[in-house]
Amino acid sequence: MFDHILSILIFFPALAGLFGFVIQKDSVRAYGVAVAAIEFALSLWLWYAFDANVSGMQFMEFLPLVPAFGINYILGVDGVSLFIIILASFFTMIGIASLSDTKNEKNMIITLLFLQMTMVGVFAALDAIVFYIFWELSLVPMLYIIGAWGGPLRIYASVKFFLYTFAGSLVMLVGMLFMAYYFYQATGTWSFAILDWYRLILPETFQLWLFVAFFIGFAIKVPMFPFHTWLPYAHGQAPTIGSVILAAILLKMGTYAFIRFSLPMFPDASVFFMFPIAVIAIIMIIYTAMVAYAQEDIKQVVAYSSISHMGVIILGTFALNVEGITGSVFLMIAHGVVSGALFLLVGVIYDRRHTKMMSEFGGLAQVMPRYATVFGLMLMASVGLPLTINFVGEFLSLLGFYKQSHILTLLAGVAIIVGAIYMLAAYKRMFFGNVTNEKNKNLPDVNTREWLALIPLAIITVWLGVYPKPVLEPINNSVESIVQLMHEKSITAEAKERIPNLIKDAEAATSAQEAH
Amino acid sequence: MEFYLYLALFAPLAGSLFASLFGASKKNLIAGLVPSLLLFTSFVSSTILLVHILSGGEAVHVEMMTWMATGDLYIPFGFLVDEVSVTMMMVVTIVSTVVHFYSIGYMDHDKAFNRFFAWLSAFVFSMMVLVMSDNFAGLFIGWEGVGLCSWALIGFWYHKESATWAANEAFIMNRIADLGMLIGIFLVYWNTGTLQYNEAFAAMPSLETDVLVWTGIFLFIGAMGKSAQFPLHTWLADAMEGPTPVSALIHAATMVTAGVYLVVRANPLYDMIPEVGIFIASLGAFVALFAASMALVNRDMKRIIAYSTLSQLGYMFVAAGLGAYWVALFHLMAHAFFKALLFLGAGNVMHAMHDELDPFKMGGLKKAMKWTFIMMTLASVALAGIFPLAGFFSKDLILEVAFIEHHYVIYSVLLFTAGLTAFYSFRLVALIFHGEERYKLFGVHPHEAYKFMLIAMSPLLLLAIIAGAFKMTYFEMVTAVLPATEYHVHSAMTYWIMTIGTQLFVILAIAYAYKKYANSNVKVPDGTSKMENRLCYKILSNQYYIPYFYEEYLVKPYRELSAVFWKQVDLKVVDATVDGIANIIYTTGEKTRGMQSGNLSTMLKWMVVGTVALLTLAVVFGLAVRYSVEINAILSALGVK
Amino acid sequence: MMEITLNHYLVLSTILFAIGLVGVMRRKNLLMLFFATEILLNSVNIAFAAISHFYGDLTGQMFAFFVIAIAASEVAVGLGLLIVWHKRHGNIDLDTMSTMRG
Repeated sequence: MFDHILSILIFFPALAGLFGFVIQKDSVRAYGVAVAAIEFALSLWLWYAFDANVSGMQFMEFLPLVPAFGINYILGVDGVSLFIIILASFFTMIGIASLSDTKNEKNMIITLLFLQMTMVGVFAALDAIVFYIFWELSLVPMLYIIGAWGGPLRIYASVKFFLYTFAGSLVMLVGMLFMAYYFYQATGTWSFAILDWYRLILPETFQLWLFVAFFIGFAIKVPMFPFHTWLPYAHGQAPTIGSVILAAILLKMGTYAFIRFSLPMFPDASVFFMFPIAVIAIIMIIYTAMVAYAQEDIKQVVAYSSISHMGVIILGTFALNVEGITGSVFLMIAHGVVSGALFLLVGVIYDRRHTKMMSEFGGLAQVMPRYATVFGLMLMASVGLPLTINFVGEFLSLLGFYKQSHILTLLAGVAIIVGAIYMLAAYKRMFFGNVTNEKNKNLPDVNTREWLALIPLAIITVWLGVYPKPVLEPINNSVESIVQLMHEKSITAEAKERIPNLIKDAEAATSAQEAH
Repeated sequence: MEFYLYLALFAPLAGSLFASLFGASKKNLIAGLVPSLLLFTSFVSSTILLVHILSGGEAVHVEMMTWMATGDLYIPFGFLVDEVSVTMMMVVTIVSTVVHFYSIGYMDHDKAFNRFFAWLSAFVFSMMVLVMSDNFAGLFIGWEGVGLCSWALIGFWYHKESATWAANEAFIMNRIADLGMLIGIFLVYWNTGTLQYNEAFAAMPSLETDVLVWTGIFLFIGAMGKSAQFPLHTWLADAMEGPTPVSALIHAATMVTAGVYLVVRANPLYDMIPEVGIFIASLGAFVALFAASMALVNRDMKRIIAYSTLSQLGYMFVAAGLGAYWVALFHLMAHAFFKALLFLGAGNVMHAMHDELDPFKMGGLKKAMKWTFIMMTLASVALAGIFPLAGFFSKDLILEVAFIEHHYVIYSVLLFTAGLTAFYSFRLVALIFHGEERYKLFGVHPHEAYKFMLIAMSPLLLLAIIAGAFKMTYFEMVTAVLPATEYHVHSAMTYWIMTIGTQLFVILAIAYAYKKYANSNVKVPDGTSKMENRLCYKILSNQYYIPYFYEEYLVKPYRELSAVFWKQVDLKVVDATVDGIANIIYTTGEKTRGMQSGNLSTMLKWMVVGTVALLTLAVVFGLAVRYSVEINAILSALGVK
Repeated sequence: MMEITLNHYLVLSTILFAIGLVGVMRRKNLLMLFFATEILLNSVNIAFAAISHFYGDLTGQMFAFFVIAIAASEVAVGLGLLIVWHKRHGNIDLDTMSTMRG
């Protein structure tokens, strides 16, 4: 049975979602939690069965779909995708479990289960077409969640979200088709398998064009400046659960795809575009942090802070060395946990007061001390305090990029300052001071259902901050193989120099040891 | 010994966690008592470690577990107890144990008693991590940890706007410096390949000077933030919004000295780059004078002591910058004792005066608060550096160092500052304890603090008096890892002239302070006196307008720029462009849908138009292909191709 | 007397086609539209027959028959629809037939 663990992980929630239609309204929540819990248990089993010492793909599955064009159903995970899959199933679980009272609860839960299928599918797919299908499919449930349960501007926000990302991914599709065509030209067979594409060495000009095509698709998803404006609307209008999943998982698709596609397939182009992208990343970091500082709405603060953090992830990815990429993958997990938690926390107060404007609050620390404590913890994690999960990722990402450029890293490091500014200012406005608004006087503190979601997140935040090794090690091994692949594939001298050669380093190290 | 190391390190954490269990419940004495006792355990363990080191034992080095490992990077949770860190551990545990017990009394009436102890112990834990770590990353953990606890404790009374503002200011300003620190760490890693102190320092001599200088500068920027050196100093005075025990522990004795500790710890690095050392020393001397001048006119008891702390930190940096690391560490230790004592005394006064901070509104308190009076006076004497108290041995040594190293400008600045120090310290003492009992005007009935609070303070009093006696023992111990330069003035004559001269100068300053402020003519200033309208008084009492400058030219523009970025750039440029593109498509559709009105004849018309267009195209291309040779000839004749 | 060449036929075909085209575009009466369509088709038929004759290839003439057949069936269906429309609405004006408005 566990030979097909990935297929099970992908299609189990979808099938369960179909069954969900016949479940009674009253018990659908329990059903949803049960399904998501099973899914989460399966993903944990995946982690357990995962061999951390193997750097390549594991749990590979293969099923021919359109053999004539090399389109096959290929799945597999490595250290990079493993934890995002676990994160996806984890967030779906606690998302359903902590779902506050919503109309049409049944539809929401079924939608979430479908969304889970697409999320796992994206991260497990090793065939470009399968990847693309899941990538696009993931838009549909989210469109529905925002459009059906969102705020007053929900139609505008959901359509914007859909069209914007969709337009970007069409360009990506063109890139994929061209890539397959080029593969056909070079080898005489069609293939959409990503692992096949890895072996293909492209001329530099082709790399540049293809890189741009893929970049547009990914950058909109991430979202990178200046393609980010759909995100504040989507977050602003989406219900809590939608924001949580969007921030925690869906955004990671973009950054994950950079590591899965752009870097190993176009190493020279990656080096060529490293500095422009780093500049964009720095703009993302500083500019959106300042925009976040100007916000009136706490959810928008968190939304813009997401963009700012994604900037650090991008920067780490384009450090093109093991430290940076490992850091960026880890930061994807970390940002998923922390921003997911922050959106849940915003949801907590929104459920009580039905407003997200910070001016409505103030002095909440007196009324809701436990809420203030968890919020404070997540805030500090978001700010990147050591021994919280975010720090590990941020530190490694910046450390990695420092190898490539001193000045740019110094600028990017401003993240730790501006991040503190908007977060502390927001916290001060919401929690400190005296309770001035009558409506806040008797707010109930965090209830059991909310604790259910928040406690695991708080534990993860501290646990992986103190002891990141279980996660860091598998990521590291996979990243090492990616970096080595990039080094070997690269053509230009600059790329050879920028991307470290791990084997040579290792040999040099051993020979140095022997010399001793 | 490893057991004691872990005990010393983790006892405060256990205390913090214990107290936080009671975080949201009502005041519970046990939530204060248990952390205090655990801290005492930590203190005992540190003492055992100290004895171990003093008796010539090996430095204790443990590696608890891996923290981060990726690529070539390997960062463990490693802890090192050597001569330097054990000194710091002693300072931290002594002062924090005292402050903990003291706080049981001080925070007696506070609703958030339990929360206070949770944070206070958490702070001690972070500080212990900071001083005990064996690598830069661990140092950074402690570094940020103390920043966090300092944020929470400055803003402890979070209902006060000023307190939360000061907390955020402290955190953000420290973050600015932390960026420098982080870059310094990156530099260390990419150039030496490791973050472990011993390996990194061992690899450094083979590096280029440029790299070393940059590393030294960036690490020092980190130190500047924590130790509140100019221009990142404004947060320290504002941090006095926190409860007074916090000021004693964090903002006088321990956290603010972390920067000095860093420079001392990185002594192999700074030894190789004396030019940076000179810069550190000059900045230190400047800050010493600069801070002392602001203390002269201030009318807030705690701020005066805070400026004095700042000034003394300047002294420490002078010593550290000039390569006299052990002197810096020694002054750090002595200063921690008498400054914490001074703050705790100030806390007693505040309690007695119902949180009144203006010393002009006090006066004559020596009758009501005999013991506090004695303690604060002795602490001030120690601070002023009068023989034979602690300050004499440590502070005068720094003067000597500056003199012997031939930095006469620094020497004279420090000497002058020593006079200022004595003056403002005794101005404070005189205003609080001597003269008329001006507090009666405000209807206050002062009372002495709880007896156990006074007893809790007594170890500090003792150490402030006798710490100087340990100088030689200390020297022998700590120079096992620090450069063992002994500072002796060449001729005995010069030495005596210098020492006695300094003492006389300081005593004169004290006498002047008493004469001016201990008499019965002192009035509560109301803004009309001649002195208050002088320009220099205004400059000093407004802290050289630096906070004003920061607010006006940094904070405000940042806020405004943020608003512009959001409202103008993000919404009106970036988003509007996207929506504009979408709108173009929409309008095109809207305009062209007329074509498909469903009216057959219109549609037929469009069909014909399409046919004609296609035909035309076919003809044009056909002709172009037919005559391509001629077209090319014409084009090349025109020079297009 | 001038010999009649292929060109003459083609010119005639073009003229007829143009007449038909204008009719298609300008006429509002559905019946007239059918007539115009017939003219269009027949202009093509002429061209087919003429070209077929001049090249000695019967395929063109064969196609002309096909076109005639299609035209006949089209008119049969079209006129049927037209009569139904007229019965229901009392006119056969094109402008009234825009229920599929875009």
